[in-house]
Amino acid sequence: MKQNKSLETPQMAIDKSARFKVGDRVRVKDMPYLFYTRSQMYTRGVVGTIAACTYQDLIPEEEAFNLDGQVEQYYIVRFRQKDLWPEYPFDNDTLQTESPERWLELVSDESGPEQERKGSE
Amino acid sequence: MSHTHTHGDGGADHSHRAAPMVEEITDFEVLEIAVRELAIEHGLFTAEEHRRFTEWAESIEPAAGSRLVAKAWTDPAFKARVMEDAVKACKEIGIDWAEPTGFGTPSDYMHLVVLEDTPTLHHVIVCTLCSCYPRPLLGMSPEWYRTTNYRRRLVRWPRQVLAEFGLILPPEVEVRVEDSNQKCRFMVLPVRPAGTENWTEEQLAEIVTRDCMIGVALPRPGRTADVHPVHKARRPVHSSPQHGEAAQ
Repeated sequence: MKQNKSLETPQMAIDKSARFKVGDRVRVKDMPYLFYTRSQMYTRGVVGTIAACTYQDLIPEEEAFNLDGQVEQYYIVRFRQKDLWPEYPFDNDTLQTESPERWLELVSDESGPEQERKGSE
Repeated sequence: MSHTHTHGDGGADHSHRAAPMVEEITDFEVLEIAVRELAIEHGLFTAEEHRRFTEWAESIEPAAGSRLVAKAWTDPAFKARVMEDAVKACKEIGIDWAEPTGFGTPSDYMHLVVLEDTPTLHHVIVCTLCSCYPRPLLGMSPEWYRTTNYRRRLVRWPRQVLAEFGLILPPEVEVRVEDSNQKCRFMVLPVRPAGTENWTEEQLAEIVTRDCMIGVALPRPGRTADVHPVHKARRPVHSSPQHGEAAQ
């Protein structure tokens, strides 16, 4: 009996170190994808903060089709709700979600174009 | 939407259909049945094994989560271990995330993050992509948690959705939505309410309901069940033809 290898990911060897650390400012890339992704449209192009480095695993775009790939670091990213939804009325509220490393890019310059979002609803 | 109604002997006009009582079967449900039957046919598992697993999965209740919260409230060292490695700490309350396969179920994975509320921070959990939920601790998710209504609205209008559950939070409390979109599973550790001093773990666990651990309710003495207001249907399907037409 052949076992689905995606079920074995918790035991996978960690072979790559995390590029980002807690507190880093990152932007969710607005990348094209074919067929499947778990990177929500509403986070694309928005800048958030790394809240936690969680685990390393295959990326959903490959795992969904049972493809072999490199495991990579996942992060919990925290956004200000006001950055996600410009009309959001409460300054303090936040939203967190997870992202694999390849969907994130470091934002070094705070004056960078935070609001250049594509595909906003 | 407008369509003609020809009521009476029933069935003369086939363009009229009664509102469905349940949603139609989805493509994914069809796919699940097809894959399951193929797997049984090819001997990957038997129908009996599938039935036993399904019954086991559906029998899990939120009680384990309630125990975890009650223990964390009364035992600071345990709470520290929960924050350090929640899956490992679950073993202390008798929950092994690796069951029943040795590496978890395919959809629960082995990553759990417990989100600790404070007097100025309130967490609430959603999965906008599907229905990710910490099932080893909380069992099957409630039906409303899986609806597109909850999923699409909670990320954008969390305070309005919480208000519909009867939870109205002051603006100075930060509402933090956790969109559980990958392999971490999340559970809320609420603030221990006042008036529970000297309570036993068993007493405390009683007020930590499922909704409190999703973050759509707060525990309080005397609240031991998740009761949502039931609104009377405005257009019951069994209304008379005249009423039915008047409501269109």
